[in-house]
Order: sequence, then structure tokens, then C-alpha cells
Amino acid sequence: MTMLSARTRLADSTWGYLFAAPALSLIGLLALVPILGALWLSLHRRLPIFGIDEFVGTLNYARLWSDERFWAATRTTLYFTGLSVTLELGLGFVLALLLSHMTSSTQVAPRWVQVVIVIPWAVPTVVSAQMWGWLYHSEYGLLNYLFAAGGIVSEPVDWLSDPTWAIHAAVLMDVWKTAPFAALLLFAGMTAIPPDLYQAARVDGAGAWAQFRLITLPLLLPVVMIVLVFRTMDAVRVFDAVYVLTGGGPGNSTETLSIYAYKVLFQTLQFGYGSTLATAIFLIVAGLTAVYLLLLRRHLRGGSE
Amino acid sequence: MSLCLLRRWPARCIPRWTVLAGLVLLCGCSPSDRAGLEPGITTLVFKHGKVAGDPRAMAAILREFESRHPGVQVREEILPSSSDQQHQFYAVTLEGKQAPFDLFAVDTVWVQEFARAGWLRPLDDLLPSADRDRYFPGPIQAATFRGRLYAAPWYIDAGVLYYRRDLLDRYGFVPPRTWPELVSMSRAILDAEGDARLAGFVWQGKQYEGLVCVALEFLRSHGSDLWDGDEREAATALQFMRDVIAKDRVTPSAMATADEEGTRHLFGAGRAIFMRNWPYAWTLFQQPDSAVRNRVGIAPLPAFPGYVNAPTLGGWTLAVPSRAAHPQEAADLIRYLISPEVQRRLALEVGYKPVRSDLYDDALFGPQPWLRDVLPAFLAARPRPVTPYYLMISQMAQPELSAVVVGRKTPEAAIRSIRKQTALLLGRSTIQPISSPDEAT
Repeated sequence: MTMLSARTRLADSTWGYLFAAPALSLIGLLALVPILGALWLSLHRRLPIFGIDEFVGTLNYARLWSDERFWAATRTTLYFTGLSVTLELGLGFVLALLLSHMTSSTQVAPRWVQVVIVIPWAVPTVVSAQMWGWLYHSEYGLLNYLFAAGGIVSEPVDWLSDPTWAIHAAVLMDVWKTAPFAALLLFAGMTAIPPDLYQAARVDGAGAWAQFRLITLPLLLPVVMIVLVFRTMDAVRVFDAVYVLTGGGPGNSTETLSIYAYKVLFQTLQFGYGSTLATAIFLIVAGLTAVYLLLLRRHLRGGSE
Repeated sequence: MSLCLLRRWPARCIPRWTVLAGLVLLCGCSPSDRAGLEPGITTLVFKHGKVAGDPRAMAAILREFESRHPGVQVREEILPSSSDQQHQFYAVTLEGKQAPFDLFAVDTVWVQEFARAGWLRPLDDLLPSADRDRYFPGPIQAATFRGRLYAAPWYIDAGVLYYRRDLLDRYGFVPPRTWPELVSMSRAILDAEGDARLAGFVWQGKQYEGLVCVALEFLRSHGSDLWDGDEREAATALQFMRDVIAKDRVTPSAMATADEEGTRHLFGAGRAIFMRNWPYAWTLFQQPDSAVRNRVGIAPLPAFPGYVNAPTLGGWTLAVPSRAAHPQEAADLIRYLISPEVQRRLALEVGYKPVRSDLYDDALFGPQPWLRDVLPAFLAARPRPVTPYYLMISQMAQPELSAVVVGRKTPEAAIRSIRKQTALLLGRSTIQPISSPDEAT
């Protein structure tokens, strides 16, 4: 009897794999094959214009190591990522708390508030980048108009043509656009926290800050991790937002890794070296994600003990 | 030992393998091919960028071709006006060994690259050698690769100087011949007008191909070049580009993000005295609702004292992809589009300037007298390096030039970096002389 059931279970799992095989092979085709393809390409010197396609081993990686433009783009990307993800998480928390406060006090989810908060996230990135491009325009832009009307500045600020401002202008746009995403996830996490925990805390005399610090924050940590992983991955790969806003300029001050890779791959058709850049982006994203997952696992293990 | 996957009905009685086989079969299904096109009609697909002028005029010219060639239909497929995006589309499509079009408009600076890649059909028969003398030399040179013609010049462009005739007249100025004159005139007019919203001299300073064109005009009108010649001389000319912003303050710092349209809007709103741009803007300034209608003049670009001016050559050519489905009909259409009568129509109705110098006669100047002022620019126009590597070396120069414009780098450092990178790419210290358009091995 035991033998029989063991055999059926084995057969079941085999069947399970068989059924999952089409989906798995599809994922493999869509994700794994291109990644491996790019990796393979990155070991080549491939310039279709000149009919050059030769295996060069790690030569492209040596070039990457001594490529100043690559390191500058990496610094820009990490700066952009660090700043924008931090701000998004902070603003996301504020919005989520606002949402959860409104929901519990009126007992009805105020739908229009949710809609208003989500709109920036729903607007396609290229469209919002174009919108912000107009807002930032130093001559006709709304931002400079408001600042001048408010007497904050005497001369128009060159938001996009000043290398120092330009990267921050891109960060601000990204925060506006993706803080709602963080807010939604955090809000969903907050609704999952049992309300009796807060009641008990209130009975014990805990204030709002103590409740947030001792109940909301620790229980939300897994959600925070998810927000961080998603946002970091997106921010490291940022392309459309910055490309539409500044094209990487002025003086390459806003050139992120993706923009550099795009220029090498699609504007100058250096497929080999471009793939090397793409692989570098992949490795950076994978490394950062691994760090987050490690932190999350440590936290979960700490929580269960 | 049940054969069913699920314990519940109705799935119980369906054998697992049938489900799996069904799924596999489903995957194999695909929509059947659409019905073929009309029989007996050849449809030519003509890809080109968005027409800056009136698109109906272009359509009318193509209909005219159809009426002369029964059995041939021309379908226009329009790409965005950004030439970077067009280049990307063509490069990816043609490298993918496809050609879903029969002829297309190619920027003069791409012809070498596309020809080198083997993406274009030679078009020697289209332009007999005797005919080529009637063309401006620059476009023909740009379209010739290893002694063969790979594209037919279609229309020409060159950098020109727009000026506010009313403002210059008010202060008794004539259009400047040298860059320092331009700066001092701007300064004088700006000081006298006292209008904080008026700019002196606007040009394309954004990090893109346009900036390379402008920088070359400054450099070459100083006897220098970006890639060849004395480094210090080149740096002096490039310093001018920063000085007009930071020292003379006649160019707004916002020009560091301006492209052709950005400057055109500013000048068109009456907010600038001088503008460097291509000739296309003229027609737009003469529209009835234009703020600067009848107040604009066009002049050749200035030079540094003791040198001749050097407008950058632009413009487009027509080419046939090597895998085109109907190369013969495509060649017919090109022959029609570059014929004198259509060139003249394109000039008058669409605003594309003819590439044939012999067309600049009274029939053209009659309706468009301003072209007299543009002709010297076409004659003096200097091509960008004619090499298949052009896009790569331009891509390397753009961030460096932009860094000079915003003051992040000194001109010396930028020139040195540009030349170092270019040498690394080409494996030699100079770009091949323009007279032999071929790449090193």
C-alpha cells in the first residue's frame, strides 16, 4: 500500500513537470535564451556594418574596465537609483499612511483619492517625461513661471541644461511617477495587518509613532523589501524617462548605463561591446537583488525564531 | 492507479496524455496568412521621414508618378522626423536581412555606412557621369562609396544665419561677416533694447548630431577641424562656443538643450536677434501667423577674421535597399523624384532645396527670391567626414562637445579626448582624407 502510493505520487510529480514544461520552456525561450545570447555576443567583436564577427574572448570586458564613460554612467546610474528609490519609499510611506488613515476613519475606501494617487503611475513613461520636459522648460516651463511668480528666483533656472540640475530633474520626475507604486504596495501590506494589534497597543498606551515603529514597520518589512527590489531593478535599468527628458546630456551628466548601452548598440551598431554593457547592467541588477533577498531571508529567519 | 489528473469530475475521465497532446496542438496553431495584394499592381513602399512642409504636395507628386506609370502604386510610410530614430529603424531592419520597403530617404551621413554594410543597391545608371557635374559636389561625394554611386542626392541643406532685419536696420547694422562682429552687434542691440527676454545668438547646443554640425562650423571657419590639425587652434575655436554663453552672454545657457525646433520657436517668437539653423525655417517664418513675418533675413554664416566661412552640409538622398522587391520600379521613381521638373516642384511646394546647382535660376528665384541668399551656403557647404565610421565618431564627439557648452570640460580636454577615442576606434590618428571615401583595413 505504501509502495503503491509512493509510486503514484512520483508519477503525479512527473506529470506535473510535464504539464509545466510548455510554460517553463516558454519562460526559457523568453528570458534565458536572450540572456545567454547576450552573454555569448559579449564575447565577440561584432560590427555588422564592416562584416566583422569574431570571437575575442574577454577583450570587451577589458575594454569595459578601462572605459571612463562606462564608469561615469555607472556612477550616474547608482546615484540616480539611490536617490530616487529612497525618496520613492519615503513618499510612498506617506501616501500609504494617508490612504490607510482615510480608509479606517470613514470605513469607506475613498476611491477618488486612490485614483488620484495612482494616475502618475498609469501615465506611460514617455508621455510623462515629455510632460515634465515642458514643465522644466526654462523659457516657457510652468516650474520657472511659478518660481518667478513666487519671487523664489530672479533668473530662470536651467533645469535641464545645467548638468547639476539635470540629473535631479530626472530623479524628481521618476519619484513623481513611481512613488504611487510604492504607496499601493505598502497600503496593501498595511491592510493585511490585524487591527487588534493596534487596539492592544492603544490599550497599553502606545502613541501613533510608537505604533508605527513597533507594529507597522516590522510587519511591513517584507513588503518594503519587495518595493525595494522592484524599484531598484527598474531604477538601475532606467532608460525612457531620462532619455526623453535629456537624451543623456548635457555633457553626459545624465547618461545612465541603459542609455549608454542603447547608443552603443543601436546608434553605432557595436553589437559585441553593446552586449558587454548589457551584461554589466544585468550583473549589477542581479547583485543588488541578491543583497536584498539575503537581507529579507535573514529578517524572516530572525522573525520565526 | 487512476489515470486522471484531478480527483473530481469531469476531468476524471479525460486521459492526461490527451490533454497534453491537445495543448501541444494548440501551440502549433497560428492565424493563416492574409489574402494577397491586388493582382497586376506593383506596390512600391517609399519610407521617409515626416515632411516638414506640406505633406499633401509630396502626395500629389507621387500620384503624378503613378499616372505616368500604369500598374505601379506608391505607398508612403512615414517615420518620425528625428533622424536618430530613422537611423535606428533602418539599421535594425536592414541588419535583420529584411527590406519591407523599396526605396527610402537616407541622410547624407549614413550613405557610406549603409553602403559598406552591403545594404544598398548601386545606382550608377541613375546618374550618368556627365550629369553629375550639374550637382553640388558635396552630396555626390557623400553618396559615392568605393567609386560607385549608392544613393541619389535628393535635396540639400546647409547651415545659414538668420537675422532680424528690423533690429539690425534700427541700429544701422548689416549682417555680420565675422563671429566677433556678430557678438558685438548682439551686445549692442541687447544693451540698447534692454529686453530681458531677447537673446542675442541662438544655436543648437543639445547633445546630439546637430551640435557636431554647429561645432564643425565654428572650427572650420577658423581653419581647424575636430579630428585633424593643430589641437590648440581647434581649442581656441571651440572656446568661442563656451564664451558666447559664459563670457559675452549673448547666448542663453538654455541653448545647451536646444535642437533645431527649439531655436526655431525662440527665434520665430521674436525672441532672438541671430540664429544658426537650416534653411527649412524660412518658409515657417513667412507664414501669415508668424511673429517675425517680413522681419527676417538670411545670410551666410560668419567666419573668424582672416578665414572663410564653412557651413556644414546636410540633406538627404534616395536609395534602394539591396533586398528590395521591386528595384526596377524603385529606380524609376527615384529618377522621377530627382528630375529637374520635380526638383523644382519640391523646392516650391515642399521646401526641399534642389541638389542640382543648374536649377538655381530665375524660374526658382522668381517665386523664392530668398534662395539667392542661401545659394552661397550650398556652394560653400563642407561635408562631415565621409566615412562608414561617421556615426561612431560623431557619437564619441557629442558628449565632449556638450561638456564644453555647459562648461564641464575645457575645450583642450574635450578635443584631446575626442581624438584619443577616435584614434582608438580607427586604429590611427587621423580620419581618412575626404577625397578617398573608404575605411582603413
